[in-house]
Amino acid sequence: MSVVYFLVLLGIPVAGAIVCTLLRRRRWFEYVTVTSTGLTFLATLWLTSLVLQGATIMTPKGWFFLDALSVYLLVIVSGSTLVVALYSIGYLHRQIRNKKVDGSMLRLYYILLNAFLSTMMLVLVSNNLGFLWIGTEATTLATAFLVAFYERESSIEAAWKYVIICSVGIAFALFGIILTYFSALHVVSSADNALNWSTLIAVGKQLNPDILKLAFVFILVGFGTKAGLVPLHTWKPDAYSEAPAPISALMAAGLVNIALYALLRFYILVNKAVGGSFAPNLFIIFGLVSMGVAVPFILLQRDYKRLLAYSSVEHVGIIVFALGLGTPLAYFGALLHMLNNTLAKLVLFLTAGNIRIAYDSKIIRRVTGAIKVMPVSATLFILGVFAVTGWPPFGLFVSELSIVTAGFSAGNVFASVLFVGFVATVFVGFIYYATGMVFGEPSRHDKKGDGDTLSLVVIAVLVVFLLVLGTMIPTMIYNFIMRAAAVIQV
Amino acid sequence: MIEFASTFIVSAIQILLMLLATPLVCGIIRKTKARLQNRRGATIFQPYLDLSKLMRKEVIIPSTSSWIFRITPYVVLASMLLIALLVPTIFAPVPFHWMGDIITIIYLFAAARFFLALGGLDAGSAFGGLGSSREMSIASIVEPAMMLAVFTTAVTAGSTDLSIIVNRLSTTQASIIHPSHVLAFAGLFIVTIAETGRLPVDNPGTHLELTMIHEAMILEYSGRYLAFLELASQMKLLIFLSLLANMFAPVGMAIDTAPLSLIVGVAAFILKVAILAIVVALVETANAKLRLFRVPELLMVAFVLSLLALILYSIIGS
Amino acid sequence: MFDTQTISLGIEILAATILVTTFLIVSSRSLMFYVRLFAIQSFLLGLVALLVAVGFGETHILIAAILTIVVKATVIPIALSKVIDKIKVRKEIDFTINITTSLLLCALLVILADSVARPILEAQRMSDLAVFKVLPMSIAVMMIGLFIMIARKQAVSQIIGLLTMENGVFLSGLSITYGMPLIVEVGIFFDIFVAVLILGVFVFRINQTFDTINVDTIRRLRH
Repeated sequence: MSVVYFLVLLGIPVAGAIVCTLLRRRRWFEYVTVTSTGLTFLATLWLTSLVLQGATIMTPKGWFFLDALSVYLLVIVSGSTLVVALYSIGYLHRQIRNKKVDGSMLRLYYILLNAFLSTMMLVLVSNNLGFLWIGTEATTLATAFLVAFYERESSIEAAWKYVIICSVGIAFALFGIILTYFSALHVVSSADNALNWSTLIAVGKQLNPDILKLAFVFILVGFGTKAGLVPLHTWKPDAYSEAPAPISALMAAGLVNIALYALLRFYILVNKAVGGSFAPNLFIIFGLVSMGVAVPFILLQRDYKRLLAYSSVEHVGIIVFALGLGTPLAYFGALLHMLNNTLAKLVLFLTAGNIRIAYDSKIIRRVTGAIKVMPVSATLFILGVFAVTGWPPFGLFVSELSIVTAGFSAGNVFASVLFVGFVATVFVGFIYYATGMVFGEPSRHDKKGDGDTLSLVVIAVLVVFLLVLGTMIPTMIYNFIMRAAAVIQV
Repeated sequence: MIEFASTFIVSAIQILLMLLATPLVCGIIRKTKARLQNRRGATIFQPYLDLSKLMRKEVIIPSTSSWIFRITPYVVLASMLLIALLVPTIFAPVPFHWMGDIITIIYLFAAARFFLALGGLDAGSAFGGLGSSREMSIASIVEPAMMLAVFTTAVTAGSTDLSIIVNRLSTTQASIIHPSHVLAFAGLFIVTIAETGRLPVDNPGTHLELTMIHEAMILEYSGRYLAFLELASQMKLLIFLSLLANMFAPVGMAIDTAPLSLIVGVAAFILKVAILAIVVALVETANAKLRLFRVPELLMVAFVLSLLALILYSIIGS
Repeated sequence: MFDTQTISLGIEILAATILVTTFLIVSSRSLMFYVRLFAIQSFLLGLVALLVAVGFGETHILIAAILTIVVKATVIPIALSKVIDKIKVRKEIDFTINITTSLLLCALLVILADSVARPILEAQRMSDLAVFKVLPMSIAVMMIGLFIMIARKQAVSQIIGLLTMENGVFLSGLSITYGMPLIVEVGIFFDIFVAVLILGVFVFRINQTFDTINVDTIRRLRH
């Protein structure tokens, strides 16, 4: 029976991709994709209710499984994809009108969007670490042509850089997985189970700690590249600024979480097997370094999509830092921050996409007076900026506050002070650039026009959600996050 | 007394075999190359005819030259013959193996090269000096590479005496063949190509001033002297091929003086050297001459491979 | 048929030959030569997998062995040589690090690889692993693959570096675990194959838009 769940979950986007290859009319791509992403989102909600009621769901051979942590991310990722699919409709229509996109490109876009969703689902439902790897590499491959979508010189370069750097990183991760498998083979009797995360967790204490430490270093490099941890983040600004806005949004909201999820699974495993402060310290260091390196790039930025990319680097740093702190409050903060960051990044990248179309420029200084050119998008953008910099009453304030509290109470005073310093500096830089973009007098009046209603409504809903998360977290969501955090606490 | 006689006989066979086989190997390589280039080519016995013709020709000595010019062919040929006595071909240990080990052999090669370079300079022509300087600069990388490659097998067998190495490798289990030998073999093979002046390092077939190395040094020699130098350089090739064949694949090597094992030894030796000669011909056909300043890169490959062989040996252990 | 010792020896010798091919890639400038060496390297890797499958009764790796020989040693090299034919760039011209230095650095990498491999091998008891000696060599192949990507600028060279790295990872897997479960190996193969196809398409596109595939000339995007 359990196989059916996974077949449904992975099957819907795959079917969506296949149907898109067969269709010819533009409208149909949109209908199919919205249906497939919507159905996937509904399916994840349904599975979430099942998981939260009962225990974990696992296929007979243990290849796939669902626990509170994986369904938490499933909901985040499939929800983001649905948002992006809804936004893409209007965005691509405008790009077609601007003669930047034609029919065959449109088909490719929707096929790959569906494929991208299915690969992300594959990562999230994999219990077998080999599948986890395969899924992660597949996300790179599915997005490669999406990053190079506009076929400009710079976008092909960005895509090349993205595929090469991520493939190298992921090759390291594969070596780490092989090492894990190696140490598991000495403990687990059946070779087929020796790659299953659930099996490994069960025998965690018996695994050889020295090998797992080394394996974790390779895995941190591998999936860290995918997540965009400094110094492996170099592909990120290029890819995010060259990809179409909805794709950048989905990479910042979905792909980052996928990579963090993969890292998290190994983090749990290594903590169980090695204990002590090995993995947590690595996470704290990498987290702080990522935040710290992002700061100057945010302060001295000319390109607003790159600004957002570095913000993504910073927030990955925040989440990894929080996971490294290792207290229940920090885990709660980290998971909540994953959700908050996802919402804020969606708002920012999608509104930035509208700004990009209206001004036809990615340069911050060329964009002035957006509030007059596109009142709704600009308002949402500035709200998103306040949210992403951790301003109350938005959700990120709550999650960052709980992370800092956890940091101080865990005794990491120095690290926590640095954390606060970085967040504050980023805030200054962001507000400076964003106010310059939104307020003032527009230089050109000819392109006056906002995004389409549907996408603006969707983005507004996200902003409201961020407000809700920042003022009073619904009990249901609170309990859900606590369940997921309990998985980390093994 | 009997021991002395057998020592003498075996050594005589060895030297005779080397002398006789030397032009033949050269002939095989030339024939193979000709066939690969869709030519009929001269008979494989052509080098014998060339040498005998040269022996009969008049010797012309440049008026500017000194006694060094005249002594060089003898020194070079004598060094090669000495080495030929030390290198195991069909029988290990060779009777005179106590005379010198690997290091002696490398220095005998160096001595020959030194005199050859002097001879090239002494003739007083521009090309001689050019060839000499090229030869010495190549030698500066080739020699360490060769030492490292040979040391890998020396370490495996626990001796620097070539005969003992070959003997140990051929009498013990196959497990003594070590993965690092693959790298040492590759290194030594490149050294062979460079040392014996084959393509892509040097072209034995032309006298093009831009590229020639070995040919430039012996440009002023003629008649008997040239025959000696040609024979010496061909013998050098054979010596290297037997090093390659016997250090890394001592199959069929005779370890006693029984007639049967000697015959097997001779047959195995001829077979292995012929195969290697054909491989050399293939390499020569497949590659174009490298520009001179690119040659150090190739030699560096040989050096690094040989170095790596030693590293790998210490990493993997026996 | 043969005892374990002989088979391990064969595997070790093949692995050493694989290491030789990677050094030859580092020593060369011709893109076509890279591709041929990569084909030989993958073929040898396929033989290693075959030996593991037949010699140690690990039949699940048989398919991976065949896939290696068919995909990595045949299809990918043919595709890459087609790419080289089309883009009419045959030589790596200027290097970040020159060949001589590269070779010496790669020799150092082998020592480094050993220092990575040693703790892994010391941590587990080695009695039940017949081919653990291959691990340092495989890590060295990985590192040299990465080195090729750093030191070479042509797009095709970077692909070759990446593939060499993958070969090193596969070899390490064969050495310490006799390969991953079949379905995982097949998935990995599929991913690598698709990655090469995508990168190949990018090489074409880069070539069309810039008239060069020197990755350096397109580094216009800065922070």
